[in-house]
Amino acid sequence: MNLDYTAEDEIFRAEAREWLDANIPREVRPPDGPGMREFDLGWQRKQFEGGWAGVSWPVEYGGRGLSLTHQLIWYEEYAKAGGPNAELLFVGCNHAAPTIMARGTDEQKSYHLPKILSGEVAWCQGFSEPNNGSDLGGLKCRAEIVGDELVVNGSKIWTSSAHLADWQELLVRTDPAAPKHKGISWVICDMQTPGIELRPILIMTAPGHHHFNQVFYTDVRIPLSNVVGEVNDGWNVAMSTLGFERGTAGMLENIRYGAVVERLVDMARQRLGASALENDDIGQRLAQLRAEVTAVRAMTYRIASRAAIAPPGSEVSLARAFFSQLQQRIRRIALDIIGPDSIELPEDDPWIRPYLRTYSNTIAAGTSEIQRNIIGERVLGLPR
Amino acid sequence: MNLLPTEEQQQIVDMVRGFLAASAPLERLRPDKFGQIGNPDAALWPKMAELGILGLGVPEEGGGLGLSAVEEALTYIEFGRALVSVGVLGATLGAHLAARTMPDIAAAIMAGTSAVGLATPRGTVAGDDGIFSGEFHLIEANEADFIVLLTSDAIALFRRDEFMGQSERLSMDSHMRLMRAALESGKPLSWSSVKDGIDHARANLLIAAYATGVAEAALAGAVDYAKVREQFGKPIGSFQAIKHKCADMAIAAEVASCQVSFASVILSKNSDESRFHALASRIVAVDAALKNGATGIQVHGAIGFTAEVEAHLFVKRAHLIDFIGGDQRVQKGQFIGADAVI
Ligand SMILES: Cc1cc2nc3c(=O)[nH]c(=O)nc-3n(C[C@H](O)[C@H](O)[C@H](O)COP(=O)(O)OP(=O)(O)OC[C@H]3O[C@@H](n4cnc5c(N)ncnc54)[C@H](O)[C@@H]3O)c2cc1C
Repeated sequence: MNLDYTAEDEIFRAEAREWLDANIPREVRPPDGPGMREFDLGWQRKQFEGGWAGVSWPVEYGGRGLSLTHQLIWYEEYAKAGGPNAELLFVGCNHAAPTIMARGTDEQKSYHLPKILSGEVAWCQGFSEPNNGSDLGGLKCRAEIVGDELVVNGSKIWTSSAHLADWQELLVRTDPAAPKHKGISWVICDMQTPGIELRPILIMTAPGHHHFNQVFYTDVRIPLSNVVGEVNDGWNVAMSTLGFERGTAGMLENIRYGAVVERLVDMARQRLGASALENDDIGQRLAQLRAEVTAVRAMTYRIASRAAIAPPGSEVSLARAFFSQLQQRIRRIALDIIGPDSIELPEDDPWIRPYLRTYSNTIAAGTSEIQRNIIGERVLGLPR
Repeated sequence: MNLLPTEEQQQIVDMVRGFLAASAPLERLRPDKFGQIGNPDAALWPKMAELGILGLGVPEEGGGLGLSAVEEALTYIEFGRALVSVGVLGATLGAHLAARTMPDIAAAIMAGTSAVGLATPRGTVAGDDGIFSGEFHLIEANEADFIVLLTSDAIALFRRDEFMGQSERLSMDSHMRLMRAALESGKPLSWSSVKDGIDHARANLLIAAYATGVAEAALAGAVDYAKVREQFGKPIGSFQAIKHKCADMAIAAEVASCQVSFASVILSKNSDESRFHALASRIVAVDAALKNGATGIQVHGAIGFTAEVEAHLFVKRAHLIDFIGGDQRVQKGQFIGADAVI
């Protein structure tokens, strides 16, 4: 075991720090709407032009082809510099691109990967349906093969940023007669295709906050050449992306939360006094959170160490399940430190909206219960 | 950067695990094997000494194997899994404290011929400039020549006879021998404060590593049982109420083990961050041991409430180690006062 970085790593770190210092956006990120899209894509373009967009992406797809350790160093510096949480880019960079790299055709790769990396386009994820959330494998959105096209009819829901996205990774049922996991295809869908309609869905964080959508498909025609992997093999294609999402893609967030806890410690020391804190209930809870978030960094390092040997497996659910609940506890304590004023929702609020947002952490991308099923069955070998 | 054991480190783990499987299986603690009071582990010390385990991390010039905090922590996870008497902690910490200035004492400890008990405060400790007064518990001290005292801000090696009024108590963890005793201006043979070097941080790290082993063993026992015990015609591990409890135990053990690894590397560098990371590892690992110990009993049902399976041993050992040098409340108070390490 070691936490040593080579001289070359340290040069990389210094370069990253210097570039971030000079280039990190100073303006506040709009929480929603076209302004947010412009902000996130603009920031991605800037990172791309600086050579920082795809640190661990293969060189042939426009990345730097560096190791996961470099990626980790980049994330650490990014978090230290207070880099923005450019969520709109997440699906493209962390789902769609790795999936296309792993299973896409040469045409799909050469068309889509450069556009994703350089911040030209935004992607969204059309997996969940009104009647299939946790039971994703039972999804019903139908795609009939007609000539060299798929004709899609049905609906997706909870599609984050569908209203801001150019492309969608879409799971459809191409063979209703096959066993449920064997009749699904993973498709690249152009969001401008006729027959797609959106219904905005407001979320609980603040009045009028439009985060996700229900998406309706009526005779939406998608070229068959947009299927990634084999037709009817979409479940396997999708699982490779989910493994990625639950593993390495979460690293930046994990690292960023250390700074959130330190801001809370500072706030608590100011409001309650440093010496009172040691015996106070808030101090005790904060100490626990500080220890846990420190351990999350260690977990992230262990995942990165394992990933250098083999692709992440079910064991990444240990870190994910832990971290999603830890985020909730961390954000929750802010209210106890702030006290009565925490029932106010100021315009420039750094704590209340993020607190409310954490309610989704144990739901999105596989609920805590589903994560525990995975841990129980696939990590511990308990019977189904 | 690599947070997985190297091949050599894995060999040490396998060696210690193999030794403990043969010489200290958990069954040794069953009432029909040894009894419910006291423990058979004194016999282990000379054998462990032969393998070099007692002086594993002591520098070679001090008579040890000269390995780092990383190897020490890895072996302590194994000690926790096997519920080795916490007297081992006395030996390791005592050998470190003695090695610099008292080579004969260090040699006797590392050879397993002088046992070292532990002292932990029962209340406030007055400790100015290396003179200590207060009321203590002594753990595994009955046959010990020396005692390592751990407080929240100091670690000190004493001759056992510095402690006055030694009187036996039955311990909640009845395999561990317990006494009460006092120091009145007791003068240690050697000591160091939390501010000098990493002696104090090492104690917290090794307690964390041991607790991680306890948490892992409690998890393993619960999972094994959940796979074989059937009710309503299926293994109880197929019920989510049980499966999710096991998953939570696995999460707690993983959190602990990752932070212990991370902290052990930090200590092996003698880094200024040692205290911070050792405290963090102690807080998450003792938490894991306490939780997993308790949950393990529930997963077993009534058999878990008996002395006939191991389930009850883990939570008791977790409570005992929680108090060594100050319980979670004390450690968290220390930790929230510490400077940030980012
Ligand atoms: C903020 C946010 C953003 C999202 N973005 C997207 C997106 O962009 N694209 C997309 O496709 N989806 C998205 N989702 C949807 C998300 O993937 C689903 O919400 C999730 O998979 C759970 O499905 P569900 O909401 O239908 O809940 P359900 O599956 O109905 O679950 C309801 C409750 O039952 C429990 N439950 C269900 N099955 C089991 C079981 N087998 N064992 C134990 N408990 C069970 C769940 O844990 C949960 O507590 C998003 C969700 C959120 C909250």
